[in-house]
Amino acid sequence: MNNIKRGSLMLFFIFLIPLLSGCWDQTSIEERAYVVAIGLDKSKSDNENQIQISYIIANPEFSKKEAMTTEPPMETITFDANDINVARNKANTVVAKEISFNLLSVIIVSEELAKDKNFIRWMYDATKEREIKRDTPLIVVKEESTKFFKQNQPKLESRIHKYYDLILKYASKAGMIPNSHSNLGRYYRITQADASLFLGIYGTSEKSEYKRSEEEDNFMAGQIEIGGESNKVQFMGSAVFKEGQMIGTLTGEETRAAVLINEGLNMGSIIATYKDPFDDRYRVTTRILQKEDIKIKMDLKSPLPTIDVSIPLYIDILSQHSMVDYVNDSEKRERLKQSIEEEVTNTYNKLIKKTQEEFKGEPFGWSLIARKEFLTIKEFEDFDWMETYPEIDVNLTVKVNIGNFGNQSKVPELEEMRD
Amino acid sequence: MEDLTTLKNKAIDSNLEDTIEILKKFYSVPLNQDIVIRNFSISGLDKKATVIYINSITDSEKIEEHIIRPLLTNNSTEKKLENISPAQLLNTHENFSNILQDINNGNTALLIDGEPKAYIFSSSKFQGRSVEKPLNEVVVNGPKEAFNENVIDNISLLRKKIRNENLIFESITISKNSNNVLYIVYMKDLADEKLLQNIKDRINSLDINSIQNLSLLEQYIEDKVKSIFPTILSTERPDRATSFLEDGYIVLLMDNSPDSLVLPATFWSFFHNSEDHYLRFIFGNFIRLLRLLALLITLFISALYIAITNYHVEMVPTDLLLAISATREVVPFPTIIEILMMEIAFELIREGGLRVPNPIGPTIGIVGALILGQAAVEANIVSPLVVIIVALSGLCSFAIGDMKLNFSVRLSRFLFIASAAIFGFYGMTAVLTIGIFYLVSFYSFGVPYLAPMTPKYISSKDTFFRKILKTEQYRPGYLKPKDIVKKKESQ
Amino acid sequence: MNSMDSTKGKIGLKELVAIIILNVGTKVADNTPTIFYEAFGTAAWIGILIIGLISLIPILLITKLITLYQDKNLIDIILHLFGKHIGFVLLFTLCILQIFTNINNTSIYTDIIGTMYFSKTPTVVIYLLLLGVAAYGAKKGIEYIGSSAWVMLFWICLSLLVILSVVFVQGEFNQIFPILGTGGLELVKGSYQNSSILMDFLYLALIASNVKSATIYKKGIWIGFVIILLAFVLSLIGYVMLFDYYGVRMFDYPYHETIRYIEIGFLNNVELLFFPFWLISSFIRFAFYLYLGALLFGAVFKIKQFEYVVPALAVFTILAGLIPESSVFSMNDFRVIFLNLITPIFLLFPCLLWITAKLKGDFKNE
Repeated sequence: MNNIKRGSLMLFFIFLIPLLSGCWDQTSIEERAYVVAIGLDKSKSDNENQIQISYIIANPEFSKKEAMTTEPPMETITFDANDINVARNKANTVVAKEISFNLLSVIIVSEELAKDKNFIRWMYDATKEREIKRDTPLIVVKEESTKFFKQNQPKLESRIHKYYDLILKYASKAGMIPNSHSNLGRYYRITQADASLFLGIYGTSEKSEYKRSEEEDNFMAGQIEIGGESNKVQFMGSAVFKEGQMIGTLTGEETRAAVLINEGLNMGSIIATYKDPFDDRYRVTTRILQKEDIKIKMDLKSPLPTIDVSIPLYIDILSQHSMVDYVNDSEKRERLKQSIEEEVTNTYNKLIKKTQEEFKGEPFGWSLIARKEFLTIKEFEDFDWMETYPEIDVNLTVKVNIGNFGNQSKVPELEEMRD
Repeated sequence: MEDLTTLKNKAIDSNLEDTIEILKKFYSVPLNQDIVIRNFSISGLDKKATVIYINSITDSEKIEEHIIRPLLTNNSTEKKLENISPAQLLNTHENFSNILQDINNGNTALLIDGEPKAYIFSSSKFQGRSVEKPLNEVVVNGPKEAFNENVIDNISLLRKKIRNENLIFESITISKNSNNVLYIVYMKDLADEKLLQNIKDRINSLDINSIQNLSLLEQYIEDKVKSIFPTILSTERPDRATSFLEDGYIVLLMDNSPDSLVLPATFWSFFHNSEDHYLRFIFGNFIRLLRLLALLITLFISALYIAITNYHVEMVPTDLLLAISATREVVPFPTIIEILMMEIAFELIREGGLRVPNPIGPTIGIVGALILGQAAVEANIVSPLVVIIVALSGLCSFAIGDMKLNFSVRLSRFLFIASAAIFGFYGMTAVLTIGIFYLVSFYSFGVPYLAPMTPKYISSKDTFFRKILKTEQYRPGYLKPKDIVKKKESQ
Repeated sequence: MNSMDSTKGKIGLKELVAIIILNVGTKVADNTPTIFYEAFGTAAWIGILIIGLISLIPILLITKLITLYQDKNLIDIILHLFGKHIGFVLLFTLCILQIFTNINNTSIYTDIIGTMYFSKTPTVVIYLLLLGVAAYGAKKGIEYIGSSAWVMLFWICLSLLVILSVVFVQGEFNQIFPILGTGGLELVKGSYQNSSILMDFLYLALIASNVKSATIYKKGIWIGFVIILLAFVLSLIGYVMLFDYYGVRMFDYPYHETIRYIEIGFLNNVELLFFPFWLISSFIRFAFYLYLGALLFGAVFKIKQFEYVVPALAVFTILAGLIPESSVFSMNDFRVIFLNLITPIFLLFPCLLWITAKLKGDFKNE
């Protein structure tokens, strides 16, 4: 009995030792360098197997109550490495703490790298890293990510993780970029299924030539002129990935249209403008609500497969500068409705044409709906949705329901007022 | 000494002088100051007599008025002794040991020359507190009487609440030298015979010179002496003891103990509080919820902090993580040392505060702890979050009213802290699982510790939360009460 | 002193159901779903239903036998039906199978903890702790394993329900199509091969005599059976909704990928909120497995106080489980082969028992 006691006492002390020395998986919270964003670029060296990796490391000192430190809010380091995982060790040649991806907010990829045929290989390295979560958003930027990081100096959100969280949240609410679900997990899933196209978030810090367009949102990132002293970075539109490789872009409006007819990407209400049928000079500002699901009917068994899509839109009119009395005049309202329907149908037809001819694949997630038509995986794979989609005849009907007219529904008679 | 021990078992002599001499020897008179031996003669009968009592534990006035005076003023030659003295005649003894025991209990012995026996009159009057408010089990709502050190008062408090002839106060002398008397209290028509026998067997098997009070007795009869969990409940509230009695539990009372022991005890009896039932259904359950929360916080929060900051940082929301990381940067110790330092400091302040000879001691202690914490933060010895965490875990432990459970929880907390430091969540869960295995296989007087949660018994299902009073129809089945139904469903 | 209870050592309905749910149900959170997705694609949830249907016969026969021979467990029944010598061989086989299953499973679970949560901690340490806790529970005995299971059951089920409801909100329902997955014939074939997933129901008969009565045993088995099928169906649908059949096939441990992927409110990383519940159910599961192993071992080698075998069995399990070099590949592959291999035993053994009982004429006494 005494021996057992002594033995257990020994065991207890043996267990105490690691208490003092720290255990295998233990790293103190303050001994980690938190990478907030990872940037991936093509390597400048000739080595094809290497990529250039940038880390943005958040400075915790900045979160202190007495934050009057002179230290910057973050640190950016860039170097070449074989893959994301090796880079972690390499980074420790300059960073004093253990690199941690626990706070990773975004992965940013340059367009150049995203269009590389080997891009998918680098991306799959991320699945091997335990700390990179599959819900990390994937952003494609036009320029090199290092440049993007340099330019990205948000004026008000100096804590960079917060900036990414918030801008992605609200930009996707506005429908300018694909839903915040366009993350790594979705990228892998769509790439593996090899039936639809993946939409990544598109952004840039480079200003391209300003495009003064009639339509409100037919822009790519970098094309909007924003005055003041704001950040140079813009997020708008989406990067289209086919089989894990980027093949093109969609503008903000196209992105919104694509998101609207994608069942998987639910969005809140978005604001859009449409032509005023009574006065070409003005546009009607509307809030689009998706109260009903889109109805998609597929006939894939026939030799000429067709898809019938009917999109019910609920539109609230927020402002109309023509001051036409839509509230009381049902005929005028009818015309407005028809005009919006026409415009939306037009947009969609253009978009679908673009996907069928340019991308040869659809980003609408329709492959999932198509699956319902098949009983077994084999049948579906034999049908080869990606290959068949360009041939499919898509019939689109838009049904607009006009809801209310804002808080103050009546507008004054402009002519009378001017009298 | 030898002859005293043998004398003890002898019968007294009919010669008064001799007997007195022997008694004097027993009591070491005149060394012993409070022994009174009064000689007088009974008029009428015309016999020499002596009364012996200990004046510090007797009512001298009563002896004077009711025993001595009637004997002195007696005229009749016929009357029997019982009828002369109006004082209550308890017994007559022939044996020295019995006489001594009665005198020690505060009774008066009357010896009459020529009669080889002693008359014992009741005259005891021990000094003690009167019935006061409970100190430890404070309730806002409900009776405010507490047990005191006088067992007769305690019995009276219980009798006041249960006016039933089935309420039994069985007395057993449990120690040899000090002759401490234990009262086993139970409802004859409810308590399980086997359980009662089990308790009596344990008590009878004791061979001890002295057991001063219930707190000491508890340690002689409990199931597992080395366990971190208590198996016998103490309560100083007669109302609480009553409700246990009425459910078929067995209560122990003793002189010199301002509380009672309730057995068997389950985990739930420590977790509950009488106020839970005095408050309305929803309010009562609300404080149960708070208590559960306090229990969990006390047990886990420090360990969680260690596990999260050392192993699972990804759990913390980003901004908080950076904030913790920033404040930790200047602290020279690892988290485990930081937490242990503060926890031990808090325990020390608590213990010190208790011993401060002042009722506001504990309050000063807590305030002191907080000031100390603040200073420690300023000095970069600990990070501010640690002070919050340790203070929270310390304060929450006060919400667990029962002192024994409180200790169990506070001690097991250190187990969790150690396991979290070694293995993070894995270690904590391992300790928790072992704890559950331990608790479910733990018994108090044959009753499973977590009953009626598991294993199942018929009961009112009063575990974490209580039921509506009307639906609490059954006595706990694990006690095997003779009558399981305590109320019929009312319309 | 503790034996005041006449039902000591016996477990009630609640405890039995809890044991069943934790022992079979925990399989939705290891590599079992991956085996299903490999075999059935999107139709994994149909697969488990078919497996349930196939297993109905052996489970039915076993419960029939248990109710026939009141107060006897599987060991007693085997010895009664086949006599000493053949009975010994059968029990020995069962014992070996059980210990093998245990080694296989524990090493997979160690791998889960190692790869998903504690990547730098040596496997042997993780293994020691896992089996140390399990052995402590197993040595306590079946009624305490049952009680512990019941105490934690609510929380474990709650955590699974929370996960499932989040998954059903965040996942895409359309991903469960094509509804028949790998196709009709494949479904049936795969279901047959993998039906030993429910082999535990055979082992459960070993503790039949520890249940308060045969009726409670029967009731518990069926309640547990239905709940497990439900849990399997919902989780298998859930994983596919979240990751799609192609993606989920790539995972070794879909449950853990799921809790890493989902977000609840402002909490982005919730996996560690669920990890402890999974761990507790694993601890209890292996406690039960070790108990069964010791029970069978005791029956084979006539050791009355078989609880004392538990520590030795635990040490053996650790040693054997550590042999394969990289457990993800060898153990997971081994498990698939093993499952296919023991299926006939699971399906035929109860029939054999039943027929023997019939031939012996024991059913006439009913």
